[in-house]
Amino acid sequence: MQSGEAACTSAGPDIEQLMSRYQQADAGAAAALVATLSPQLHRFFAGQMGSVVEAEDMLQDAWLRIHRARHTYRPGEPLLPWVYAIARRVRVDNYRKRQRITSRERAVEVLPEPAANKAEETRNLPAFEDLVASLPENQREVLTMLKVNELSLEEVARATSSSVGAVKQKAHRAYQRLRSLLDQSQFAQLMPKGVAK
Amino acid sequence: MTCRDIDDLMSSAPGNPVHTPDTVEHLVSCEKCRTLISVLHEGGKLAAPPEGQIKRIQARIVETLKPVRPLAPSRFFLFACAIIFLCIVAIGATPFGMNGWGALSTMQRIAVFTTLAASAVLLAISMIGQMVPGSKYAFAPTALPIGILTALTIVLAATFRPHAEPDFVADGLTCMRNGLTYSIPAALLFWLLVRRGAILYPKLIGAAAGGLGGLAGLSVLEINCSNMNVFHILVWHWGVVLISSAAGALLGAAVEFIERWRSQKLS
Repeated sequence: MQSGEAACTSAGPDIEQLMSRYQQADAGAAAALVATLSPQLHRFFAGQMGSVVEAEDMLQDAWLRIHRARHTYRPGEPLLPWVYAIARRVRVDNYRKRQRITSRERAVEVLPEPAANKAEETRNLPAFEDLVASLPENQREVLTMLKVNELSLEEVARATSSSVGAVKQKAHRAYQRLRSLLDQSQFAQLMPKGVAK
Repeated sequence: MTCRDIDDLMSSAPGNPVHTPDTVEHLVSCEKCRTLISVLHEGGKLAAPPEGQIKRIQARIVETLKPVRPLAPSRFFLFACAIIFLCIVAIGATPFGMNGWGALSTMQRIAVFTTLAASAVLLAISMIGQMVPGSKYAFAPTALPIGILTALTIVLAATFRPHAEPDFVADGLTCMRNGLTYSIPAALLFWLLVRRGAILYPKLIGAAAGGLGGLAGLSVLEINCSNMNVFHILVWHWGVVLISSAAGALLGAAVEFIERWRSQKLS
């Protein structure tokens, strides 16, 4: 298994140093950190919510929270679990907010499907977002962190406040479920439901 | 190589590093694995945020940028928790005397106070960990309070015996009131301490702070109260921990609600 420190280089070699300088009010470091981490945070949100607009809102919210909580990062510690633990909370809050809004808007009987990616439509493979949308929330989250954001098991465990074993188990279950969904007939049954979220 | 091995490989390394001869051989023969890897690979190509949005975020952060001092090491907070806990127990033990301590046998003292100390240390470590996002936990923060309450129940039930008690409710209420008198201030002090961190899950951290306060209250009762009836201890002493934890979780829920309301108002 890969160590947390080694895997942290996945987002760039100096993100921990940038974070330390950001804590010291270095504007350049803060801007560089935003530029480095925003694309992967955006993918984390978009991969799970299936909506680019929501992902953009959540990205903004995540940075506000990171900014407010920046004193809680301890220099020398891996940064990605810290960032993703905050991002995860943003996603949970957004999910609840969406649930509340949805419950108030029952009049709309059919939920709109996530905006289809034209490039994906032309292919035989189902889109990643559509496929993972059918997974339970905790499996979707673990899978997105592992495969989209390329975090290590250790980092995912820390970001989700669980153990490496639990993360591995969730990932295995997700793979199994995805394999069964990829069986064309089952996936065809799933798609018309608007990909339950 | 099996599909399960492919899963192991995919989980243990970031991205999709499936390039060894064995895996390639499996992928050639297994369409499901091949498709799965292709789809997962697509996930890494999801759209990036617009450049304009990144610039807006950068501008907003830079405009409110001030130097901050990183949070003190965990051992500092652990030490602070120990001081609060011991002070509360010492203050609680002074006015009512140590009748309970005197009534306990050596084995009972070891069983009860070792369990209390271990529970308090574990809960304090978990609570301090929750101050920093992405902390590493030996025990899941959601499961720990339940585990501690269960362990306490087992130890207390195994250590004490039932006795006839004519004023079960009246005596019990007195004990519970005494216990809560110390557990509530202790929990509030723990809450003030953890507020220095980033509270991502207020209910959870509230339950931990309340539980730790409850353990302080229970320790006071075990030192003061000479009633050795197992039912008295399980209902009225143990109940202090339960009530404190629940009150802490409620306080956390209230904080969460207020924060949500504020953010809705702002947006």
